[in-house]
Formats: sequence, structure tokens, C-alpha cells
Amino acid sequence: MSDDFERRLREHLHHEASQVPQLPRELRGRIRNGVQPRPRFGMRAPQLAFAAAAGVLAGALFFGVRNQQVIINALPAGIRQLIQPTPTPQPFVCTDRPGGNPSVSTQVTDIRWARHDGYDRVVVDFSSGIPSYDLTRQPTANFVQDPSGQPVTLDGSAGVKLILRNTDGSPSLARDSKPGFPALREVTQLGVFEGVLTYGLGLAAPTCERVLELSGPPRLVIDFATSGPAPSASPTPTLAPSATALGQFQCVDASGGRDAGPVQLKAIRTAHQPGYDRIVFEFSPGTGAVPPYTVTRQSSTHFVKDPSGQPVTLKGSYGLRLVMRNTTAYGAYQGSSDLTPGLPALLEAAQLGDFEGVNSWGLGLARNSCMRVLELSNPTRLVIDIQTP
Amino acid sequence: MLMDPVLTRVIERCREGDRDAFEEVVNRYGLQVLRTARLIVRDEAVAEDVCQETFLKAWRRIRTLRDEEPGPWLNRIATNESISACRRRSRFQVLAERFGRFGGVKREVSTEARLDLARALDQLAPDHRAAIVLHYYQDLSVEETASALGAPVDTVKSRLKTALRRLRELTGSEEVS
Repeated sequence: MSDDFERRLREHLHHEASQVPQLPRELRGRIRNGVQPRPRFGMRAPQLAFAAAAGVLAGALFFGVRNQQVIINALPAGIRQLIQPTPTPQPFVCTDRPGGNPSVSTQVTDIRWARHDGYDRVVVDFSSGIPSYDLTRQPTANFVQDPSGQPVTLDGSAGVKLILRNTDGSPSLARDSKPGFPALREVTQLGVFEGVLTYGLGLAAPTCERVLELSGPPRLVIDFATSGPAPSASPTPTLAPSATALGQFQCVDASGGRDAGPVQLKAIRTAHQPGYDRIVFEFSPGTGAVPPYTVTRQSSTHFVKDPSGQPVTLKGSYGLRLVMRNTTAYGAYQGSSDLTPGLPALLEAAQLGDFEGVNSWGLGLARNSCMRVLELSNPTRLVIDIQTP
Repeated sequence: MLMDPVLTRVIERCREGDRDAFEEVVNRYGLQVLRTARLIVRDEAVAEDVCQETFLKAWRRIRTLRDEEPGPWLNRIATNESISACRRRSRFQVLAERFGRFGGVKREVSTEARLDLARALDQLAPDHRAAIVLHYYQDLSVEETASALGAPVDTVKSRLKTALRRLRELTGSEEVS
């Protein structure tokens, strides 16, 4: 059993840990310098590519192949890209896209956009090579600025985040523009920090994209489809959203809040209302703001605890994961860390973690339900309504 | 085990040798590793060395990480590195005192003294302190603590019990019966 001494010990350890406010920049640099690239081959990559190409070419000539395209197709992809003038347009896909070259360090010289038949195009021009990048889709047009953490909402109802590493932005680049195209509604620079340049793209609706890496000048092209069926942001919901005075129930992930400083979780309440189950997270008075949060839907009740990584399974068949940043339940929340309200939709709510300022909860749901998330004040509350039949 | 899809992709890129991706791992877990090391080794500079060595080892072994959350994996490496660093420092102190140099580093403390918790924690054996940090700071269960330390559950229970008793003695706290 935990007694007063163990409580004091726990508080003391958290206090000692808080004396280390951040990872020192110098230590970060030492780690970066110590991480060496791993050689994968005995021969260097260019030598290997050249040897492979020469071998294939010699083989093709030996067997009397005269068709140039056959020879080109037989070459390794890297060599083929160099000698083929135009890349074949790829199909539009509805997935996140990583790419680029991690060894490239470059600058964005321009970012531009245009409307075309069937798609809206964004082009990012680089001074030298295409850097490592991540293109991440999201079901809202809400973004977080880097490094301030301030939320920003763009035009549109969906978004794509573009992260460019080892990249600086030219001072002449526009910070925010609103093309107002059928798919592409807004482009904004979310941040330039420690060699990472981030853009948020606001989209009219969840849209599939096509990504091309082109050269002369090096540029990254992102096309957003404007015709054809739009993809749904989530698996087929079992309940149709319905409008109410408090806002619509939606079958997509949610995020919001504002980072105004550390927040303490004070109480959690649950209740059934006509048409929905409600769970309320109430915060101690202080910043007066709901902390930054994400609510992520999932098609199981299997969660992972933080920081142990241990799996935990809640009641029900679908789940929601709530992650609140700059938040702790420590010291203020006296309630249970595993609630089983047994409501029509909400069967269980369990704390998954409360570590390093991140407080997370898993919600076990009886079925795949749409939800509505509200941020309320006096007292400061985050409310999640889960639709019931 | 389920893993954040973005994190899964980052780890895949690390396995392919992408150092930028590994920097994202450092950004995500660096502070947690540094704080844990600092609590165990009780020295800022040594904790930074432990943190550096933890991530360099992780980079070298990243291909052994399969469908596993990197957090607990890094935690295991950091805890073991911290305990090793404490032992190395202890051996150095013994040698230094034997040769009459660098004397006065170790604090002699009477068990009757009423120490604050920070100084009491200094007095614990490294593996006992590691168990305390994992259980009471990271809120790991006894089983999870045992897994992180690579020790049997009964051993960890014993270490926690002994360490708590020692801390109570050093701080003059009464045990609740």
C-alpha cells in the first residue's frame, strides 16, 4: 500500500526531474555527431550502381538487344531516372508520403500553386536537391505552429502537413496565402526551426494526392485531385452524424486546445443524455484554457500505456484515445484511473499515462460511434459526446 | 503491440539508416532518458554522458527493435547504462581515495542523521535507486520495473523493500504498519 512517505518520495522524484527542463542543445549536437551512417555495402553506392549498369548494358548488347527502351528498363532505377527525361505521373493515392534525400541540405526558393484539369498543384522549388520530407494527411485544417505550439486553423475542412528537413526558407517566401482553389484553400508556413521547415495546407475536403520529385530545378510537386470520389476520412461509420444546437457529431479525429501553460486535470464525470454519452474532463483554475489535445478514433479497444509500453484492453469493441499535452492528473485528480460507467456507448475510461506533462486516456466504446468535442469555460472543461443510437 | 503509425514509419526510416529520422527519436525521448539517468546517477554531467551513450547504442541496435515501442526499449538501455556509470564512478572513487587524491568526494553519513530525500537517495546502491526511480518516478509496475532492469520480479520486490526501508531510516520517517 502506498503511504505518505511513498507519496513524498514520488513528489520528490518528479520535482528533481523537473530541474532538467529540456534536452540541452549541446547534448543534442553530441548525439547527432556520434550517429554515423551505416555502410550497407562493401562497395560505395555510386560504384555499385555504375558496376550494375555496366553489367546489365554489356549483357544486353551481348544478346543483341537493339531496342533502347528495353535497355533502359533493364537498368537500375537510379540510373533510369537519370536518363529518362520525364517521370511517369503517378496515380493519386490517399496515404501519407515520406520521401526525399536525407543527405540533402537545401533552401526553399519558392512555393507556388496552380489549378489544372482534375487537380490543384503545389510546387516547392529548392536551391539544391530535394530534402527528406514527410507529407502527412489529417482530417481537419487545424495545425500547430513550430516551435511555439500555438494552434492555427486554415481554410478548409481537411489538411496536409509538409515537413522538410535540413531545409531553410528564403526570407522572401510568403508566410500565408489563400489560393481558394477547388481543393487547395490555404497554404501557410507553420515554422522554421532547427533546420525543419513546415507547411500546412488547408484542403476543402479530404483529398487524394500525387507527389512528384522533379529536377532542373529540383522541385517537389504535390497534386490534389479535384475530380472523382473524395475519400472518407475514417472507416465506414455505423451511425450517421446529426446536427444539434451544440454542433454536429462527426466521425473523424479531433484536436484543439491552446498551450497556455501547465494544466492540472481535476475531475472526470460521465453521464448519459438523450442521443449521446458524455464524458467531461475538468481542469483546475489556472490558465483558463483547455490544453492542447487530440482525440483519435480506433477500431479496437487495445491501447498502449505510457511510458511502460504495456498493452491494455478496455471494455467494448471500438476506442478513442485522448492525449492532453502540458497536462497532469498528479496532485489534483483524486478519482479513479479506471472508470466503468457502463453507459450505452461509453463502457470504460482508463488513464493510459501521466508522464512528462502528457496525460492520456483510453475510452472503450460499445460500437463505432461518431463524436462531438466541446471546449467549455467556467470551469475549464473538455467535453466529449459520444453518439448513441 | 500497437504503435503510433507515424512513429512506426520513423523507426522504419531509422532502420534504413536515416539519421534525420533518428533525430526525431532523440527529440521525442531525449528528455525522458536524460531525466531518468539524472535521477539514477545523481550527477548532471554523467547523466548527459549516459543519455548520449544510450542513443548511440540505440542507433547501432535499431535493427533489433521489432514491433516494439521505442520508449521502454530506450528506458532499458538508459537504466543499464546509468547503473554501469554509477559502478564505474564508484570504482574510480575507491582508487582515488586509495592513492590519497581527489579525497573527500564521498560523503560519510550516519544512519542516525536526518537527511533530506535527495541526500538519502544518493546513499542507495545504484540498482536499488534504479528500481526506485522506475517504480516511483516512471510509475512502472513491479513487473514492468523487473522487465526494464532485466531482473526477476522477486528480486525487484526485494530491492524496492530494502531501498524504501533504507530511505526511511536515513530520513527518519516512520513506517506505516
